[in-house]
Amino acid sequence: MRAAMTHEEATQELSGLSLDVLDAIDRAAVLAHVVGCTLCTAELARLRRDAAQLLYVVDPLPMSDAQRERIRARLHERVEAQKRSTPPIAVAVDDADVIPLDRARAVRSDVGRSSRGGVPGWMALAAGIVAVASVGLLMRERASRRDLVASVQESQGERARSVAAADSLRGVVEDRDRLLAQLTGAQVQVVTLASTGTQAPSARMFWDQSVNAWTFVAHGLPQPKLGRCYQLWLVTPSAKISAGVFAPDATGDALVRATYELPAGSLAAVAVTDEPVAGSAQPTTVPIIVGTTTL
Amino acid sequence: MNPPTSVPPYSNTDGAIPDAEGDALLLKRMAAGDEQALGVLYDRWHAMVHAVVVRVLREREDVDSVVEEAFFQAWRQADRYAEGRGSVQTWLLTIARSRALDRVRAVRRLREDPLETGFDGQVSMQVSSSDPGRDVEVSERRAIVRDALASLPDEQRQALELGYYGGLSQSEIADHTGQPLGTVKTRMRLAMQKLRDRLEILHEDVR
Repeated sequence: MRAAMTHEEATQELSGLSLDVLDAIDRAAVLAHVVGCTLCTAELARLRRDAAQLLYVVDPLPMSDAQRERIRARLHERVEAQKRSTPPIAVAVDDADVIPLDRARAVRSDVGRSSRGGVPGWMALAAGIVAVASVGLLMRERASRRDLVASVQESQGERARSVAAADSLRGVVEDRDRLLAQLTGAQVQVVTLASTGTQAPSARMFWDQSVNAWTFVAHGLPQPKLGRCYQLWLVTPSAKISAGVFAPDATGDALVRATYELPAGSLAAVAVTDEPVAGSAQPTTVPIIVGTTTL
Repeated sequence: MNPPTSVPPYSNTDGAIPDAEGDALLLKRMAAGDEQALGVLYDRWHAMVHAVVVRVLREREDVDSVVEEAFFQAWRQADRYAEGRGSVQTWLLTIARSRALDRVRAVRRLREDPLETGFDGQVSMQVSSSDPGRDVEVSERRAIVRDALASLPDEQRQALELGYYGGLSQSEIADHTGQPLGTVKTRMRLAMQKLRDRLEILHEDVR
């Protein structure tokens, strides 16, 4: 783990971060600085905007009709699968070449009638044995086919579970990407909160005005007392709006994310108060941490 | 046994959504669950997404699945697109590059391949979509970006391409080129500084 970067050091690395070419340790160190630096946040957004233009250097590359339709069909399958909460596993089986059991019984009946028509007994017996054996084979074939269907269903189920697991993991990564965007976007405004008490918690609120997303990051918060929690407030000249209740983790860190549309210029302050676990309609205690702003 | 058949409810010819409908509006419809809008977006941009993926992957292997992944991510994250941050096509192409780089890096880790070079396989096939205006806009944008890249000194452009299209980290680029890591960082920083001025015009009329 490397030491925290200075602003000058981080500035030198922003190009690499925008191109996604930093090594993991450097990347983490730069990001740690960027989330608290409005200058670097803005510069990173500009660099990323420029970097994205590099994608236009390629000429469009048409796919073959088959390739295009293949991908379209798979997309459709995935969209449909996503829409279904519990996707049924459907296997299309062409049973046309499977002789139904009742038809097999008819074969045996026919053999019996032939016997009554004067066919020698040994032939009837042989035919019966053959018929019974055929029915047995047919049943075994049918059982095998059922096993095969079950196997295919199991494979499809396994694939569906794998896709779901992959989508779930991807969701985690996307969620982190989204958080990063909400911390570093071009329209993100930052409010720094300072402690009003003797202890030294610190916090920052990131307001992504483009999507009305609020991300509150706090460190060094003391554990609330039993039955109590912290409540986050967006303070405007005319109202104190709750952005949620929360409790810090064992190390005193907390992350709160909320979505709330607030007109630009209307935020006067961000504050955290100690409240009952159910939260309060309005603050009932003096803020333990507060940051004023004119955003 | 017949394979399960699945027919998308959209095609590139049904014309249910006017071609002129804006990409941003398509994303709004996608966010509301309109799969037909995804089909229109796919028809509009598959060739560009495909080109970006091929550029990054270089080999044809996995291209289809990465293209599919990019559009599926666009479907799932349509509600997260913020119009003020750039155009839909840039957003979509950025997704495509990210997914392609994921694949390149995963394969590299898996195989512990030596680093590969050869980013000269620029594809130059032309495709015409059903919207000449959009084609012209993309072509102009491409010309500006190419001019900007061409204006860079060779060593800066090489560093940029190895990293941006090749998915190499700065350390890997340093290893590959035999240059000190600091030199690579400086080259990339200078390259981005020079590109800024030349690409500024592209940001003035972001849709």
